[in-house]
Amino acid sequence: MLKGFGTVLTKELRELVRDPKILLGMIIVPLIMFPVLGSIMSFSIQSAAEQAKKASALVLDRDGGIYATAFMENLKANGVKIYNLTNVNPEEAVNRGLLSEYNTTQIIEIPNGFSENITRHLAGETNVTTYVKLYSVFSGTGIVEDVGSSLIDLLVERLNRQYAPDLMKTSKASIIKGQIYENVDPRTLSGLMISQAIAMPITIMILLTYSMQIAATSVAMEKEEKTLETLLTLPMDRFAILMGKLSGSILVAGIGALAYMVGFNYHMGSFASFSAVSGLDLASVGLAPSLLGYVLLGISLFVTLLSALALAVILSAFAEDVRSAQSMVGYIYPFLFVPSLALMYVDINMLPLAARIALYAIPYTHPIIASKAVTMGDNLTAALGIVYVAIFTLVIMYVASRLFATEKILTMKLKFKGFRKREKSAVAE
Amino acid sequence: MKTAVEATEVTKFFGNIKALDGLNLKVNTGEIFGLIGPNGAGKTTCLRVISTLLLPTSGTVKVFGLDVSADAPEVRKIITYLPEEAGAYRNLSGWEYLQFMANFSARNKDEKYVAVQEAAEICGLGDRLRDKVKTYSKGMKRRLLIARALMPKPRLAILDEPTGGLDVLHSYHIRGIIKRYAKNRDTTVLLSSHNMLEVEHLCDKVALVNKGKVVAEGKPAELRDKYGSVNLEDVFAKVVGLA
Repeated sequence: MLKGFGTVLTKELRELVRDPKILLGMIIVPLIMFPVLGSIMSFSIQSAAEQAKKASALVLDRDGGIYATAFMENLKANGVKIYNLTNVNPEEAVNRGLLSEYNTTQIIEIPNGFSENITRHLAGETNVTTYVKLYSVFSGTGIVEDVGSSLIDLLVERLNRQYAPDLMKTSKASIIKGQIYENVDPRTLSGLMISQAIAMPITIMILLTYSMQIAATSVAMEKEEKTLETLLTLPMDRFAILMGKLSGSILVAGIGALAYMVGFNYHMGSFASFSAVSGLDLASVGLAPSLLGYVLLGISLFVTLLSALALAVILSAFAEDVRSAQSMVGYIYPFLFVPSLALMYVDINMLPLAARIALYAIPYTHPIIASKAVTMGDNLTAALGIVYVAIFTLVIMYVASRLFATEKILTMKLKFKGFRKREKSAVAE
Repeated sequence: MKTAVEATEVTKFFGNIKALDGLNLKVNTGEIFGLIGPNGAGKTTCLRVISTLLLPTSGTVKVFGLDVSADAPEVRKIITYLPEEAGAYRNLSGWEYLQFMANFSARNKDEKYVAVQEAAEICGLGDRLRDKVKTYSKGMKRRLLIARALMPKPRLAILDEPTGGLDVLHSYHIRGIIKRYAKNRDTTVLLSSHNMLEVEHLCDKVALVNKGKVVAEGKPAELRDKYGSVNLEDVFAKVVGLA
């Protein structure tokens, strides 16, 4: 046994456990964060299951035979609400806006000769097969696309078991931004989108945590080294100190956003080439941001970074030294991690209203939403997010400027005992 | 003689803690004035109020007739402040630090150049000025910061514990700088120290501070005579009832 090991270990544990920052950051935050994440995930899966129960589809019966009717009965028996339309082809249904009219996202086409082919197959002509075709609106929500696509596969498999193996096949097409893309399985698309969606929140998390630490350290270092006191007694506008600090951080943030955009573009490119190998090109089906989309995503990221940096500056003003400042900034991380982790797999629109409002209120959610929105061609959502984050940033900057204008920048200290804010007795000597 | 600093019935509270308790102080122009007292006596708070960092809870403080609360931006133009145990920007060289600070007082490039050259001479760090501040010893850093505080030729230089924590050689050097350059430049110096013997040799006038109040004030020799003491430490002990 190492001599003194036990004594040092006991001292370490005592110090660590008594440090409220460690207790909060390492123990309480994960204890709250992961259950929150878990409930978000389970709710979204539940709501997808409920949505599956309430599934509906436009059925374009081009056959009119008995097996077409039997297929539709099977759909109904599986809880799918169907709207049977005749004399309409899928292009017409999309162009005439019938999907939104019937409030559904799926079209099932039963082709001409469907019943006849089944009859012939059952009569012994086993080389004759038939198919049903699913057209699914791709919204990028993931779980919804999976449910629709899986349901039709399940039904066809069941009918094959009932009639004859390999009798019926499915053919799938995706409706993206009002256009039909043949032989593009929406489930494959949503899989690809999810793979992409994972990278964005991770990059945002890294970028934000890193730059917030830089900003907080820069202010805390001034306090720790007492260079801030010197600066505050110089013949200069105190707002200039804040703006100087923020501008430095803005520059870092700007470079960060630019690097992010370059990386993101490369990332999209790598997916495009991967897709080409698998026969699916995301860009050619319109699932890539436009130039405006890229610009909006860049701006969204920039204003979010700015707001995070301003908040980090304010929080670090409450800290006495670098270590405390870094711990303070740590309290923002749950607000960064929860939306990032949750939105990796779950579409925000799948969540209950309260959770949606909570996520929208967190500024760090918006670049993640924007990255998905611009890919889907929804630039308005990205723009509205920018406006919200910009307003949030202005408020934060105003608070920061007030803080710098008074002696509070030197005397305020966040007391952890009861989380009361108290003025520190700055009479150090 | 014109008054450089005049503090009248100044109180300062931090929550429930009374850091200054009706402090009165008068510093004349051209003096090297020392605030002395034990740790926690209120010296730093007093200097921070005078240097416009803190607002007094009550009472008034005037620097060359300017109110530190109402005319803070004007006061900042004529003072420099050196906090206790202050550092400089670690990743700048000594030269760069002086150049950075000269930007706030110099009106043009020539003035800046002259100011930095003078500051370099004051601190006496020679070629080490080209090195990053993070490589400096505590004493070297303090010399750099004292030079910075005297560089803009302020009307009032406020120095909090200028020799605090330094060895004999660096303390001696710094006291020499203060004596030489403050007098030559017509700068009034208000400094604090808990080293009463050091202040006795450096200051023209001293104020003994205890529990946020000035308990005695005068020239060191006068105070010694008045209390029949051999040094200021003894004077302080008698004033606060320790001896």
